[in-house]
Parts: sequence; C-alpha cells; structure tokens
Amino acid sequence: MEIVVCVKPVPESETRLRVSADGTSLDPEAVKFVLAGYDESAVEQALLLKESLPGSKVHAVSFGPAPRTEEVLRAAIALGCDQATWVEAPPGPAPDPVATGRALARPIFAMPHDLVLCGKQAGDDEAGLVAAVLGELLGVPDVGFVVDLRFDVPSGRLRFRRATEGGLELWEAPTPCVIGLQQAWNDPRTAKLPAILKSRRVAIAKVPYAPEDSSAPRSVAEKFELPPPRTGAAMIEYKTPAEAAAKLVRVLREEAKVFP
Amino acid sequence: MTPTVLVVGESSGGRLAGASLEAAGTARRLAAGDGEVVGFLAGAGTGAAAAEFARYGVGRVRVVDDARFDAAPAAATAHAAAAAADAVGAKWVVLAGTTFGRDLLGRLATRWNAAAASGVTEVAGDAEGLTVRRPVFGGRATETRRLVGDRAAVALRPHAFPSPAEVPVALAIEAVGAPDIPAALFGPKRTAVETAGAGSGPGLADAAIVVSGGRGLRAPENFRLIDELAASLGAAVGASRAVTDAGWRPASLQVGQTGRAVSPQLYIAVGISGAIQHLVGMVSSRVIVAINSDASAPIFKVADYGIAGDLFEIVPALTAEVRRVRGI
Amino acid sequence: MPDFSLTPEEESLRDLARKFARGEMAPVAAECDRSGRFPEEVYRKAHGLGLMNLNVPTEYGGSGLGVFAQCLIVEELAYACGGMTTSIIANCLALEPILLGGTAEQKTRILTPFCADYRFAAFCLTEPSGGSDAGALRTVARRDGESYVLDGEKCFITNGPHAELYTVFATVDPSLRHRGITAFVVPRATEGVLPGKDEEKMGHRASSTGTIRFEKVRVPATQRLGGEGEGFALAMRTLDQTRTPIGALATGIAQAALDHAARYATKRYTFGKPIAEHQAIQIKLANMAQAIRAARLLTWHAAWTIDRGARGTLESSIAKCFASDAALHVADEAIQTFGGYGYMKDYPVEKLLRDAKLTQIYEGANEIQRTVIARELLKSYD
Repeated sequence: MEIVVCVKPVPESETRLRVSADGTSLDPEAVKFVLAGYDESAVEQALLLKESLPGSKVHAVSFGPAPRTEEVLRAAIALGCDQATWVEAPPGPAPDPVATGRALARPIFAMPHDLVLCGKQAGDDEAGLVAAVLGELLGVPDVGFVVDLRFDVPSGRLRFRRATEGGLELWEAPTPCVIGLQQAWNDPRTAKLPAILKSRRVAIAKVPYAPEDSSAPRSVAEKFELPPPRTGAAMIEYKTPAEAAAKLVRVLREEAKVFP
Repeated sequence: MTPTVLVVGESSGGRLAGASLEAAGTARRLAAGDGEVVGFLAGAGTGAAAAEFARYGVGRVRVVDDARFDAAPAAATAHAAAAAADAVGAKWVVLAGTTFGRDLLGRLATRWNAAAASGVTEVAGDAEGLTVRRPVFGGRATETRRLVGDRAAVALRPHAFPSPAEVPVALAIEAVGAPDIPAALFGPKRTAVETAGAGSGPGLADAAIVVSGGRGLRAPENFRLIDELAASLGAAVGASRAVTDAGWRPASLQVGQTGRAVSPQLYIAVGISGAIQHLVGMVSSRVIVAINSDASAPIFKVADYGIAGDLFEIVPALTAEVRRVRGI
Repeated sequence: MPDFSLTPEEESLRDLARKFARGEMAPVAAECDRSGRFPEEVYRKAHGLGLMNLNVPTEYGGSGLGVFAQCLIVEELAYACGGMTTSIIANCLALEPILLGGTAEQKTRILTPFCADYRFAAFCLTEPSGGSDAGALRTVARRDGESYVLDGEKCFITNGPHAELYTVFATVDPSLRHRGITAFVVPRATEGVLPGKDEEKMGHRASSTGTIRFEKVRVPATQRLGGEGEGFALAMRTLDQTRTPIGALATGIAQAALDHAARYATKRYTFGKPIAEHQAIQIKLANMAQAIRAARLLTWHAAWTIDRGARGTLESSIAKCFASDAALHVADEAIQTFGGYGYMKDYPVEKLLRDAKLTQIYEGANEIQRTVIARELLKSYD
C-alpha cells in the first residue's frame, strides 16, 4: 500500500506562549517546534500499516517554512517513513487550511496514494480541516476522527472506527481515501538514536510553492490573546446545593465555554 | 443589508442535534434585520428534524430526502449543502462543530474557495463579513479572525452558544433532489454504531476535563463521588497526594509536583485545600473550579470559580445537573 | 568566532534524550529513589533507543557519538534522575578501555555481540584499600602459560552486580606500581568471578553499586587490552574521555534543582507576595543560574576540546570539578528555597542534593581533579 502521511510542525505543548508585537499571532521567537501530536499518531498508524502489509511505502509530506518543516520531516524519516516531500511556505502569516490543503495536494496528487493520513487536527490552530480539503482536491472521500484503522486484505477495504459524540461508529471504505486520524493502535513510537543520525543524511524532496495556491487570503488574524492572570475565584452564591450546581454549570457553559 | 444564512442541520433518529439548535439560534442572530435563515437537511426521514427547525424560528428548510446520506461521510453532505447554499443565495453557512460538522466544513470551504473557521466560540457579522473568536493552543490562547471574501462558513463549538428559545414559525419544506455528487464520496459506509459504553474514561494526561478529589472526601469509599462526577462529564479522574498516599487511589492518578502536571480545559478540584505541591501540577489548566468547605482555602486563590460548601451535598447535585443538561 | 548554537542533529539527539528522560525516567525516579529499585525496564528501553553505548562506534553496534553529543544527552537524562543516568552511561566507561586499547580483532569479537543486546559492562578500577591512588591497586594478574590468573577485590563498581562484562585493572607485579598495571576484559560467566550485593547508598539509588571479587579467575591472554604495564595509562586515557559527561550529569541535576526552586518560588507566598519577589530568593536563583551556565559552558568547552582530538585532561577536570561542586551548591540552595518542604522527601529537591554529592566523588574525586588541574596548570609556568 502506498501511504502518504501529512505532518505539521507545531510549538511544543509546554511552550510558554507569547503574543507577537502586532498582537495578531503567536510570537515564534524562541519557540521550539515539534511534530504535532495527532500527526505523530498518523505516522505511527502509517508505519503499523506498512509493517503489516509487505511491500508498502510511507511518504511524509509537509507544508511550512524553514527550518522547522524540514525538521519534522526528518523526524518522520527517523521514525521510519521511507521518503519525504517538503513544500516550502512563503514568508508571511500562516496560511489557512484551504491554502495548506492546496499546497499539500499538488505533490500528493503526483505520487501514488492509496491512503492519505493526517492527524485529526494540529495543536496550534486546532482547525482540523486539512483532511477534508485534501479529500476534495484529490477527488477521493475523507473521513475524520478515525481510530482503530485496519486494512482488510481480502476485501481490499479499510475498516475503522470513528469516535463521535454518540459513540463509536464502525466504518468501511475503499481506497484511495483520506483519513483524519484520532488515534493509532499504539502510542507513537520514539525514534532510535541511530535512525535519528541516519535521517540527517536522507534527501528530502523540495517542491516549490505554486503562487496560484495562495490566492487572496480568505481570513485575516486580528488578535491573539492570552488569558488574563488569575485574581481569585468568583464565588458562587447559593441557597441550595441544586442552585449552586445549576449556577456552576451555567457559567461553565456560557462564560467559560468549557462544558462538554 | 444582511445576507442569507444557511444552517446545516444534523439529525439522528429524527431529532435535530442540540448543537444544531445552537447553530440555528446563532444563524438567526447573524441574519437579524433583513436577512433570511434557511435550514438544510440531507438523509432519509428528516421531517421531524425539519419541524424542529421551524419550532426554533427557521421555517424555510431545504431537504434532500435521500437515504444514501445516512451512512455516508460528511463529504457527501458537504456537496449537497454547498449546492443548497448556492441555490438559496446564502453567503454564510453556520453549522454545529461536531465531528460531522467539522468533516463537512473543510469540503464546503474548498468547494467555495472560501474562509472557514472551526471551533468557534463567538461570531459576529457585518457588511464586510464574519468575525470569529476561537480558542487555540488547547485553550491556552484565543484568536480573533476576520473571514474575508464573499462567503464564509463557521462550525460552532458545541455548548459555546446558548440554546435558542422556541419561536415557532410555519414550516415550508423545499424538497430537492441530490445534486450530482461524485460516486466516490459514497464509497465509505458507516456499518454500525456502538453506543458510548461506560468504558474507561480518558487518560489523565490528555483529558479535556479532569476532576480531582482530595482529603476532604474523608474516606476511600467517598471517592466514588469523584468517579461519578467525572463520568458525567466524560472527564479523567485525578487525586491529591493525600489521597494517593493513603492508598485510596493509585499513585499514577496523583496531580502535583511529585505526581503529574496536567493542563486540561477544565479542572475541578474537590475537597482539595490547595497545597503548593498540588497547585504546581494543575495551575496551568484553562479553567479551574474549586469545591471546598473552607472558604479561605488557598485553592480558591488560583480557581476561576469557587463553591464554598459541603462537598457531600454539592458534588451529587452537580453530577445530577450535569447529567440533566447533557441528557445522560 | 566560537559558535554556541547546536546543529539540528545535536538538537534532535537532545530532544530524544529529553523525551526519554521525561517520559520514562522521571515517572519512576522518586519511587526508585525510595526503594532503591534498579529499573531494568527503563534501562532496557534506553538500550533499545541507542542511549546506552553512546561512545561505541556504529560499526560495533554502538551509537558512535563524540563527547559533545554525549554531554547533551547525559545532561537531559540527569535532569530526570542522576542515578539512572549513571547506570545508563556506565557502559561507556567500561567499554572505553576496549575502544582505546583493544585490537581490531578484540573490538569486533567483544563489542559487537555485547552491544547488540541489552547488557551492562562494568569498569573495575577502585579497590577497598584505595580509589584515588590507582597505582597502589592490589588485584594481581599472574601469568600462567597462555593465560592469566586474577585474584583480588574491586569495590564501588557501578552496575557491578548486574554486569555481564568487566574491564578489570590488575597488576602483574605490585612492586612496579603504575608500570605493572594491566587491563583485562573478563566475562561474568568466568569461574571465580564473584559479584557481591548491591550497596545501600545515600543517593543514585536507582543505580547499582557493588563489590566484585576475583578468585583464581583464569583469563586468556587474548582478553588482555594492550601490553603488560599499559593498564594505568589506559585507565587515565579512559577517564579523560568519560570525565566530561560527569560534568554534564552534574549540570543536569543542577538545572532540575533550579527549575524546581524557581517554579516553587513563584507559587509560594510569604508576607503577601510570592517568595520569588523577595530579594533574598532572587539572589539565590540568580547565583544558581550563573553556576549552571558556567558549568554547562565548561562542560561544552571540554567536550569540544576532546572532540577536536586533544586529550583535554585539564579542560575535562575543570568541567567535572566545577560542575559537580556547582550541582551540590545549587541543590543545597534549592532546598533552602523550599524551606521546610525542601527537607521533606515528598518534595523532589532533597534527592537532588543526595544525587549531586556523588558527582564530587566518583570518576576521580574532586581533590584529585584539583591536583590534576594544578599539575597541568603549572606545566605552563615551568
């Protein structure tokens, strides 16, 4: 099976976030970039499928600026991907998901792709749209929030579960297909030291960014804000426990917006 | 002049999803003035869901009555929704940011070559377009983004918008056939649904919500109050050092300096006074709720919301309320 | 101009070590410190990832890293647990004499099968009667035909109770002092090799340390490294290679102590404000940060010197001595920052003090390092 896995560099999760001088984005100064968490799972899943299906290949593809994009591709190689292709992003604000999808779709379209795996979302912008964009551009179906992805050799179909609000759905799909992965069979592996050293010497194919992929920006970041420092709890006034509970649920929903 | 807004509904078992109602309410707000809101549904037997749209003020509902959509991926519905939006002249599409809605959004944006935003918690419209606010970086920051261009689509984070009040209007269904959709999009098929089992909850490290219990629970058997509240929220369970040291819960659940550091969206500390040992492990959570009998406990200094009171009364009431609101 | 930035390759090696340290070592560090358990599952994974035989060339199945890259890794590992780090890097020390003094045949025959699997080797120099005065060692190697017979006792041997291979320094003639010392590679399975029990230690409790007795151990001459009497120089050249990573190990412990202290200082309130806003604490944190920076830079400089092919005796002694003294001081100040909590075992800083202490003692006590530093220094004033 020819597997393509899309990977993205994102700030390390414990990075201390700072606002850029113009107030519209994250200040990338001194930020350490790593392979996005769900993309790590996508790579793991790609490698597991490759290991279970003899003759398979995994091709990692990424779109982004130097040097971090090259670094995540090397990380993917060190984990066991066979090849890597880098679409170098132009300087300027981060492209939106449609532009990212276009930039990725161009080289993917030109390479064999029975299965295109993406992490279900990246931990920075958390948009989670690229799998669907890729599906549309490649002219193949896409399914997101996938867990437990298998390839059934006799039927030649993918079988998987999809983690939704209502529970786990069972699915099957033909190839080619784009999958937005939520979880691999295993926790993502760690690259071994010799593989890391070897990955430095692997050639990464560099594909130029086609200007027509950018078009006019479809959205403009206006503000990037960090939560204000804590000043002590807002205490909930109540007469009965039920009233306290109702008030708390209401503020969690309406004010804090963290109610599930 | 306010544009026409299409709201894509998601129904299961004939009922419109709660998050779709929130989307309908938001669409109506965006269309306030001279704009119109049109509902959209695809699948078999969507009549009841269409009626529900009308109950919440969206009378005009475009329906593609076609059973193929029921087991197909959102990609297929995206094509039908885009066609419907074109047909009614909608500039903006609003939908629930569920797993279905988010899969649909990327397709729609690509077909339209338009701006799209998912996970939206606030949205406002004007003559120039839509402006959204959305949490990013796991809720550690918020971005405000202006969606430019003729058209835009937004997926709303479920529960971030109020459920609308009922405003019944007459229902006018516009039944249309499915547009020409590539057969490949009907390739993937949902073959079954396993309902959400009790299962084991999420892991402590990556849970969106963590409920932790401390010494205030007094006895190991009382820890079930924490388990029940966590289950109602789909949350992971954590514990203070007092609890793990006493052996009520395994050390792997300890949150704190000598345990695990967590930073979920929501951290609920129950019966935990807030020793520094514990605070270091949870203070970076996005929203912190503390429930403690001692109103002067240090935990209330770092919490966003506090309830000073008897946890043996508050926690069962809270679990009941969560279950009621979540319909479980 | 000197360049202090890391290459992408060095960064990725450091990332691997950091991930392993935080993901695998840190979660069990406190438990192993309490119980003295030797966490084999951690060491097995370290071997699987290529973190155990860092200095062995890839052709023999090691990772083939220079001293600088080793230091980057060791600092990250030690940040999570100094004791486990000592056990993980002990193979480097034990195998270095083979790399420096072994023939091509010996390296292929001994190192290749050894590195392929998860196993420990142990460096056996120190004896009960003396460590720093290595020239006075009493373990005897008596020539008997095509083999030697070893008799004696080695102590404080890192990983000794768990090792399958020992590099042993013995004398063919005690009256020759340094000039009689000869190095041998002895498999544990050899008759008469008697590893003792694990010692109970103040710190580095996840590591294992023990006595090895050699009773009439027959070792073929093919297991001898270099010629008779070349062992002392071999031991000294070995320590020149392995001393610098001890500086990195101490730096890692110190950095952990500072991070704990600084984080605590921003959360702990006295007199209405976080203690980090009191000048007394700020001065502590500033001094700790300075000591750590200096330790790291001295370590990097020594590693850089050695990787350029120089022997680096002076540089590595300065790095090891300074960094280990700094680690003890920084861990001490971290405890002081925590106050009473710092003295409690529930908090992580008292362990750092106990772990830091050993770095002043092993791989050449700091007194010896200072003797070496002075001797090297004075050469330029002759």
